[in-house]
Amino acid sequence: MTTPSFRDMEQLSAFLDGQLSQVEKTRLEARIQLDPALAAALADLRQARAILRHTPKRRLPCNFTLTPKMTRLRPPLPRLVPALSWASATALLLFILTLGTNLLGQISFGAAAPMMAAAPMTSEGYGVGGGPAATQPPVTDNTQVIPTAETFVMMAPAATPSGEARLVAPAAAPATKATPEPVNLWPYIWLGLAAVLVAAALLIRRASVQAFRRKVGVKHNS
Amino acid sequence: MDEPALIRNAQHGDLDAFNTLVLAYQDIVYNTALRILGDEDLAADASQEAFISAFRALNSYRGGSFRAWLLRTVTNACYDELRRKRRRPTTPLEPETGDGDEVETPRWLADPNASPEEQLDQVELEHAIQHCLENLPTDFRTVVVLADIQGLDYTEVAAVVKKPLGTIKSRLARARLRLRECLQSFRELLPAAFRLEEKRGL
Repeated sequence: MTTPSFRDMEQLSAFLDGQLSQVEKTRLEARIQLDPALAAALADLRQARAILRHTPKRRLPCNFTLTPKMTRLRPPLPRLVPALSWASATALLLFILTLGTNLLGQISFGAAAPMMAAAPMTSEGYGVGGGPAATQPPVTDNTQVIPTAETFVMMAPAATPSGEARLVAPAAAPATKATPEPVNLWPYIWLGLAAVLVAAALLIRRASVQAFRRKVGVKHNS
Repeated sequence: MDEPALIRNAQHGDLDAFNTLVLAYQDIVYNTALRILGDEDLAADASQEAFISAFRALNSYRGGSFRAWLLRTVTNACYDELRRKRRRPTTPLEPETGDGDEVETPRWLADPNASPEEQLDQVELEHAIQHCLENLPTDFRTVVVLADIQGLDYTEVAAVVKKPLGTIKSRLARARLRLRECLQSFRELLPAAFRLEEKRGL
């Protein structure tokens, strides 16, 4: 008669729950017949399990049913979420592409880049739309402003000069005449697409959440 | 109860369908939380939190045992509660007599129709079990509560705690060994009727 090892106890516990294979079960049953210590351990385990199975069940203090108010705090995410994530990822990609295209364009065109050469930015100029700032007198011949991401974002509506911009340099508009150069439109196309995607994603999400809330409210009230 | 249909409807936002599921499972959810946490109020909070989380995450349910999925949610809520409790230890709120002894609350009694003797037996048995359960490490306690108190099979327990079957088998054996030792010290307190039943079981 030996003290059962932990491995034995593990086997006995699994044996109680019918979790041993037929071979393991037969082997263990034979050992239990021969070893009173194993038989006693099995009896103890069985008793512990039986006591636990007799644990009294408590009555519930209340019902746990949910109200629309509880669920409205944060409704389940609509099924379109994966699509929205893709839209956001695509928008980000396009944005990075925009910046990349701009920087590449800047490097390849160098100082001869038409817009930059013609439009050395001042804080007033690009702060209100960018376009008309080109009409301000150049600071020096060697001045070359390296555009930042913010610069490009702000320059997007450059086609329509704003009233404020006109206030900054009202009389200088006809002073310079930019030489016609091929303008790289791709950055603006990417940026536009990115904006459209982001707007669509936000609109779809908003519509989904509103539809869900309406549905929950209607179902509960009916 | 057409459970799959109720789940499908609930996934589409039907709160009534979800509440039907809540009514079906609230008993097992609350009692599991109670045995893991050992406190009625905390168990009620964890159960409510679990049902709210379950409703919000219902779209992540991809079939299989809904009971196991729900119990996983309440087990997580209990772990959160235990972590909070460890950070902010509190004193029990059981009412006390003038001598500082805790007053037994009627809610401790599972069956109000039982005789006073049976009620006393149940209370003593429950005290002994809860005391022994609370001396177990949380992981062992969860496994033994699910398998032995709630009667889940090994596969369901493995799904709830997200551990392989071998781990469940090992944890359950260790937990039963420790409980056996602990319960032995309460053997004299265990109800006589229960002891007779045990002899028949052996």
